Amino acid sequence: MPLDYRRFNGPDDSVSYKRFTDNYLKSYDELYEELIDKNSRRKDGRKLDEARSMCMFFARTDLISQAKGSAYIELKKTKVVCSVFDPREIPHQNEFSQLGQLYCEVKFAPFSCVRQRRPHAPDAEERALSVALRQALEPAVCRHLFPNYQVDVFVYILEHDGACLAAAINAAGLALANASVPMYDIITACSLAIIGEKVFVDPTEAEEHLAIMSPDTEGTNHGIITMSMMSELKQVSDFMQIGSMDVQCVTKVMEILEKECETIVPNIQKVLVLNVVQCFNQRKQLEAEAKEREAALNAKMEEWKKILNAG
Amino acid sequence: MAGLLLSPTEKVFILHGVQDDYRSDGRSNIDYRPMELETDVVSHASGSARLRLANTDILVGVKTEIDVPKPDKPDCGKLEFFVDCSANATPEFEGRGGEQLANSISNMMQKAYHSSQAFNLKQLCIFEGKQCWKLYIDILILECGGNLCDAVSLAVKAALFNTRIPFVKAALMDGGNIDLQLSDDPYDSKLLDVGSAPLLVTLCKIGDKCVVDPSAEEENCSVISLIVGLTGDRKYYYPKDADKQQSVESKCTTIGMNGPGSVAPKTLKDAINQGIVAAKSLDEALGQALLKERQQNIGIKKHSYGFLK
Repeated sequence: MPLDYRRFNGPDDSVSYKRFTDNYLKSYDELYEELIDKNSRRKDGRKLDEARSMCMFFARTDLISQAKGSAYIELKKTKVVCSVFDPREIPHQNEFSQLGQLYCEVKFAPFSCVRQRRPHAPDAEERALSVALRQALEPAVCRHLFPNYQVDVFVYILEHDGACLAAAINAAGLALANASVPMYDIITACSLAIIGEKVFVDPTEAEEHLAIMSPDTEGTNHGIITMSMMSELKQVSDFMQIGSMDVQCVTKVMEILEKECETIVPNIQKVLVLNVVQCFNQRKQLEAEAKEREAALNAKMEEWKKILNAG
Repeated sequence: MAGLLLSPTEKVFILHGVQDDYRSDGRSNIDYRPMELETDVVSHASGSARLRLANTDILVGVKTEIDVPKPDKPDCGKLEFFVDCSANATPEFEGRGGEQLANSISNMMQKAYHSSQAFNLKQLCIFEGKQCWKLYIDILILECGGNLCDAVSLAVKAALFNTRIPFVKAALMDGGNIDLQLSDDPYDSKLLDVGSAPLLVTLCKIGDKCVVDPSAEEENCSVISLIVGLTGDRKYYYPKDADKQQSVESKCTTIGMNGPGSVAPKTLKDAINQGIVAAKSLDEALGQALLKERQQNIGIKKHSYGFLK
């Protein structure tokens, strides 16, 4: 494992101080109790089937000026930045490829996670997320329009509070659209966590953590599912499941996921439409300003001409 | 698949075959190709297996080491998968060429074995919070003729079934450090409970239909395949006369998609259901084969006939 010597890495066997707090030693059942209160509301006040896409959602574009397109998505405490760069020739490849390629990279900020500090070098989880992101985006992009070229998509997760893959896919979809990369449809994603009978739509980090922990009782369903969809075309572009659950459960929650993916679409559309409107207004304003300037210049010119002629 | 050239006509031929449920090698859409399985082939590994599925050749070796358990899971052992795409398989794997494929397979395996309902890591515990077994599962791809994921998962399960972990005779606490005493006798060892270990089933979408066990040519024709990991059933892995193991419903431990295409939700559901059927029969066949082999090897030293036939 190559170390980055430019930064202080700390001793190899350092551990988080949180290991010695009471919170750390909580048992599975205690953690489970904590997730839902008496009114069957979650910690942040949501219902079980309520996603963060409605009132805790924020998205914008064009925050990175050097990138062709960029997007920022916030699901309450999950914050993701994505930038898309111009197509460039595929490096280190001597074969011609008929289809353009997408290069995706997902990176966690070192301070993004609650439990551990993220290492500087990409770890297995980040690599897996990058692969999943590419899988999700590829079907949506018209790759035949830029043969032998690749488009780079970089996602940086600033804060991770659950559903980071879904947020990354949403952000990347928005950024690709913002970069005017031709696409077949808007791509959206949603994830949910399953613990026993309960289905947590758009889970937080605590819920995800518990969902992938194996319960003591044999045969309980648990796990996380993330699905990305092109809603207009009714196509699933990626489906990721981890944990252990019976098949009826998978097929049952698929409908929930489908619906959730659809509800995010208007959010994304709004941002894109606002962009167009803004762009249009800006151009109009620029044109008006240009006209004004030209009129002023012409007036000046006339004045000079008069003076010259007079002189 | 790497280095394989198919003309459009050949592709259409394969596609039409799949449509009529009669594939180019005579199978139907739900048939597997013949398999050859041999366990205990590598003498320096704790457990090993070699699986040949038509042209796909996989060798798996399991090495055991002692490690310190993770602080948040003090009573669990560790499991690690490494996939090595040998350049023998195709020249394209040379250098770092096979890295992406290797990564995706080992990721898939890691995810499939994540849940305790798939593989109980508690059986690898030696001394809670202090020491545990760590299994390094090294997967070597010697030849690839399509359907790597399924073959790898089968070979891994067989290798784990074959793995022997030495008994710990005594553990001495010495000022916070632990001194283990292991038996010198290699036969003084325990076997793992791998009955519920998951198998991966790849469903390759060709035209409108999904096929299991795609050959390299068929993989070339398809733009999307679905990989489903399903837990096995313990009852297939214990001799009939032993204590009755209850039959359990198999569960999904992982689902993933692979390839540049996308599928409709309904197709996805159908494919998952098709995967369950395939996984079940695969699991049963594997269990029978492994038990049969174990029975044959009791008492007599295994007659070894060259492992890369």
